[in-house]
Amino acid sequence: QEFQFGPCRVEGVVLQELWEAFWAMKDIVQAKDNITNVRLLRKEVLQNVSNAESCYLIRALLKFYLNTVFKNYQDKAADFRVRKSFSTLANNFVVIVSKLQPSQENEMFSVSDSARRRFLLFQRAFKQLDIEAAQTKAFGEVDILLTWMEKFYQL
Amino acid sequence: HVAEDTSDLLQHVKFQSSNFENILTWDSRPESAPDTVYSVEYKKYGEREWLAKEGCQRITRKSCNLTLETGNPMEHYYARVTAISAGGPSATKMTDRFSSLYHTTIKPPNVTCIPKVRSIQMIVRPSTTPIHTGDGHRLTLEDVFPDLSYHLELQVNHTYQMHLGGKQREYEFIGLTPDTEFLGAIRIFVPALVRESDPYMCRVKTLPDRTWT
Repeated sequence: QEFQFGPCRVEGVVLQELWEAFWAMKDIVQAKDNITNVRLLRKEVLQNVSNAESCYLIRALLKFYLNTVFKNYQDKAADFRVRKSFSTLANNFVVIVSKLQPSQENEMFSVSDSARRRFLLFQRAFKQLDIEAAQTKAFGEVDILLTWMEKFYQL
Repeated sequence: HVAEDTSDLLQHVKFQSSNFENILTWDSRPESAPDTVYSVEYKKYGEREWLAKEGCQRITRKSCNLTLETGNPMEHYYARVTAISAGGPSATKMTDRFSSLYHTTIKPPNVTCIPKVRSIQMIVRPSTTPIHTGDGHRLTLEDVFPDLSYHLELQVNHTYQMHLGGKQREYEFIGLTPDTEFLGAIRIFVPALVRESDPYMCRVKTLPDRTWT
């Protein structure tokens, strides 16, 4: 079982555990997001991502989730009594990010730039919302993120 | 101005989904006005505009089939109901975010149990869904869930069960005693979503052994 984001291989992460962790929180977190007309992980961010792009994109997204979404969600997770599931999800994201080593070679510039533009679409939408609402919305969209990651997962 | 309590009019607005048949249901308290009518709207998560569901405008029943409108298993949706009582207040309530891929209940499989003298054959027929591909092909659960598998159990006696399983559709429990009743239970299992159906049960009796008569 491993992720294969283009050239980046990530072993030792069981996708099912991520799903189980998120499901334990899904209804609670999504119910807190009442901005139904905004979706951060829109089609333009995740659709038709090439294998080569995927490593750059997943790294940018997971780092953002860890540094901007999860970092400020610890207390809420305790309030919602889902701290264990929250930690499982966050720790697995840390493991994945630590194993992603996208190539820095010049000829990959156009690929990494395309991935960066996709990420900026997501980040811009995030910044247009109040920070708390944006964190709740991003957290509630982890199922969309996991569904996309599943395409790069091999049993 | 004191806000009128309209919670009588509308409660428990939610999707009930099984094998991707998505039905919106709701309740109202018994004492709410009997002449209340309901109108349904839906939309994709992230879209601004609510769309009126044709056939569920100003209805008196408390359910509405949104299978077609919420048919993309990879998409996320919301629906909302507006209740209007004659000359009285109205109320609008929305569902949680809904995605049939995660929320649908998997029904028990369709199975034919065929008893023989010393074995029982079980043939699973694929469960169809209302989901169609672009070219009109109707998807089965196996199409939607590539990792779907079947778990079969045969209760031999109070303490002993036999187990079979896999992705194929034909199974046979062998080495059984002739002219004896057995209880079979067959479930669908989707590992990726950690989901399992209720069992299809079949009670069958192996045939008598007539070789020596």
